[in-house]
Amino acid sequence: MKILFSIQDLSEAILKGDGKRAVEVSRYLLDEGLPVEDLIHYGLSSALHSLDVKCTMEEFNLLEIMLAGRAVMRVMDEVVVRHMEGRIEPDGRGRVVILGTIQGDIHELGKHIVRTILMAHGFRVIDLGKDVPPQNFVATALSEGAEVIGISSLITLTYPEVRKVRSLLHGRGGKGIKVVAGGAALQQATPGDLNVDFVARDVFHALHYIKGGEG
Amino acid sequence: MKGLERVLRAVRFEDTDRLPVVPEVFAFSARYRGVKVRDYVCDGETLAACQLEAWRDFDYDCVFAFADLSVEAEALGCELSYPEDSYPYIVRHVLEGSDDLTGLRLPDPEKAGRMPVILKACRILRREVSEEALVVGNVLGPVSIAGQLLGLERLLYLMVDEPDRVKRVLAFTTDVTIRFGLAIMEAGAHVPIVFNPMASPNVIPKAVFEAFELPNLKRVFEAFRRAGSPIAWMSTAGNTSTILPLYPEASIDLATIDYSVSLSDARRMIPRVAINGNIKPFLFNTLDEASMKEEIARVIGEIGERRGFLLGSGCEIPLEARPENLRVLVEAGRSVGCGQGN
Repeated sequence: MKILFSIQDLSEAILKGDGKRAVEVSRYLLDEGLPVEDLIHYGLSSALHSLDVKCTMEEFNLLEIMLAGRAVMRVMDEVVVRHMEGRIEPDGRGRVVILGTIQGDIHELGKHIVRTILMAHGFRVIDLGKDVPPQNFVATALSEGAEVIGISSLITLTYPEVRKVRSLLHGRGGKGIKVVAGGAALQQATPGDLNVDFVARDVFHALHYIKGGEG
Repeated sequence: MKGLERVLRAVRFEDTDRLPVVPEVFAFSARYRGVKVRDYVCDGETLAACQLEAWRDFDYDCVFAFADLSVEAEALGCELSYPEDSYPYIVRHVLEGSDDLTGLRLPDPEKAGRMPVILKACRILRREVSEEALVVGNVLGPVSIAGQLLGLERLLYLMVDEPDRVKRVLAFTTDVTIRFGLAIMEAGAHVPIVFNPMASPNVIPKAVFEAFELPNLKRVFEAFRRAGSPIAWMSTAGNTSTILPLYPEASIDLATIDYSVSLSDARRMIPRVAINGNIKPFLFNTLDEASMKEEIARVIGEIGERRGFLLGSGCEIPLEARPENLRVLVEAGRSVGCGQGN
């Protein structure tokens, strides 16, 4: 059988911001039997990671990042969500997860991926967007009856803001709500560094924990 | 030699009595005088009084009639929020959700938004400073104004999805830059400086800069030159390495660069364009005087024996800067005799 596309082609399409091709390649790879976890991990996340490396080398360019991000979202919306429908157990059963990029950071791509995967698994996700103050995570979690707060950040400057969330939460009687951190910057830290319950390596690591696993 | 002459000679690569010092002192001057930033950005007399006090105390070579990055956007209909003691920011981009991108009219700088604040500051500064120092008025570049009107995200996506539409918006914002710049000159500024944060390669790639912004900058600087501006000056932060070599095409003859580009690289890339920079602004907050002196000596060492250098910060002197460090900067300029050139 002739192999038309590889996972490498997906990464390249993402990096070029070519959403149309990224969608085409993704459909092909899933049809050929590639697990959706691998598609996200080796195709989408690895492309985002190489953008992240460029960012830290100060060679980054906002337009390229935005186009890559838009391509990732197209793949998630047009391919991944549809692929997962009917194939997975929606065992989130409407449990509420609050997501947001912490105050001081405006990067949302990784968070979008997490949102899509959690929703596909049946969670009700409330996405607070970017540059979210710690108190907003807490207030929304309490008013919406959330079980989990998911905090994302790409940059290390936000550590002090992340650390505030759990203390604020406990101060307002939200001890039962778990705080999960993820994203390029936060995944380098320990739960103790960040004053959170769990630090996720990637979206599926987070999913496993939120579903009740131990990470 | 007076500050004005010192700056003009340096930009022409001529010898000067000492290194010109041109730090981007904006609302730092308000903090220095104990004035709230909101009062500084809303009142031309206050703005000028703060600029004059800082200039007289520190004795550098220029004053700036600059409030904040949202003056043009506000004059064109964007809504701003005004914190008491920091810069205003846009809360509603006038074209963010609009399908019609052509409905805006050119602002009258004597009436629109806070443009009159800037013009008033220019008049006072020129009257008080005369030819002792360079009086500079700030105006945003075309792509930066467009980013303010549309919101940056929409501007960038439109550049890819509907380039012709964006070019029409940019033709309009180029007219805004020119009209405001000319009004600033008529009000007494010796020179308009074009602030262009969104032209940075950290925001748009070089190819996009070349296609969308460079032709408009040519038009801007031609208009300023015809109106008698002795310098074509652009300030863009970030890693500008890829676009600096294009500056001569827009006849830019003074480039403000920040610490993201080393002076040794910059002097190689633009041998005939004067350079203003590039002490890291944050260091003005954190270093003690001895370390600041060392850092400045290191940076001056990078430029080597080159005429056409004006010492500065490459980006705004932070509001929380230690005044002592600004003094160290000025003294460092004084200690380099015969300018930078031999």
